[in-house]
Amino acid sequence: MSYFQVNDRCNGCLACVQCCPGNALDYRDDPEQRTLLHNMTRCARCATCWRVCPQDAVELQHLLAGGWDEVVSLPLVRCQVCGEPVYTARLPEGLDERVAPLAVPLCDRHRADDRARTVVASRIQARAQDRGGKR
Amino acid sequence: MIVGDLKPIEEIAASIRGYRKVQVLGCGSCVTVCRVGGDAEARDLVRRLSHPQHFDGAPPQFAVQTPDRQCDRDVLEAFLEMDPDTDAILSLACGVGVQIVADLYEHLPVLPALSTTFMGGADEPGVWREKCRGCGDCLLGSTAGICPIARCAKRLLNGPCGGSSGGACEIDPDVPCAWHLIHDRLVRQERLHLLYEVRPPRDWREAGHEGPRERRRTGIA
Repeated sequence: MSYFQVNDRCNGCLACVQCCPGNALDYRDDPEQRTLLHNMTRCARCATCWRVCPQDAVELQHLLAGGWDEVVSLPLVRCQVCGEPVYTARLPEGLDERVAPLAVPLCDRHRADDRARTVVASRIQARAQDRGGKR
Repeated sequence: MIVGDLKPIEEIAASIRGYRKVQVLGCGSCVTVCRVGGDAEARDLVRRLSHPQHFDGAPPQFAVQTPDRQCDRDVLEAFLEMDPDTDAILSLACGVGVQIVADLYEHLPVLPALSTTFMGGADEPGVWREKCRGCGDCLLGSTAGICPIARCAKRLLNGPCGGSSGGACEIDPDVPCAWHLIHDRLVRQERLHLLYEVRPPRDWREAGHEGPRERRRTGIA
């Protein structure tokens, strides 16, 4: 979805394209259609398009208060005691061996709790042994 | 935002005379919004500079790029594509951007196409006015949101001078007296008592009088 949106009043006059100081607006004329184009990375959100539009067609509010785009989605590791999210499953993969042991699935609160640390460590060890046995 | 003025075309042309391949750099931030140094203005400048009247022989060969900002060195260094044959850079950024680019391409002359003028805002479409001088110790809370350092011709801190007349500054009847504006707004807000408070002298070292200022943000620097 484009953050630059126009309403039904847009008549394709191209005033916005001609006035955009960032060259963020352009158009394409196909045999039957004129298509207005917008490039968000060039857009300075200066509102010139909104000011100059003779049709009052630019819906600037979408450029000023856009939604969130999903960027990446990764499996999550939660604290084994309370369930609070702590890191993604991919995080320990790239850690140096000196800090890798710190990546235990515990939140800050339960990391400070010796008993919780011991329980989780024994669980991890048991799981590792179990995997070794299956091999 | 930072507001600038395009230098006279003759001055810009003279600054690049003798160079064969000139990289023109617009800037996608402040100077785009104030309509003086964005991609559209960079391309328009190239069109104007390409006229043979400005040069004895053929005009230089121009290339145009407009990064989002010229004031972030690491991003420029990573993403700006500079033709190795470039022998001069013409920047339409403010003085900050010109200096960052000049530091990055130390072997090339980096020439300003703009004169940076002030930090200001658009009071109405197409009209930018100076609002801030970056003095380092903001006093807007006690001056009704009107800066006397930026908007009083004498930068007075303790009320208007004798040249304030009918709300206008003596330098020009179209320039409002900042202290007249401050007084009237404080009256409307019923906060005029703020003007009766005795304040300690300002430390102008914060305004840059002790040399160039620097800020290091913990966790980034």
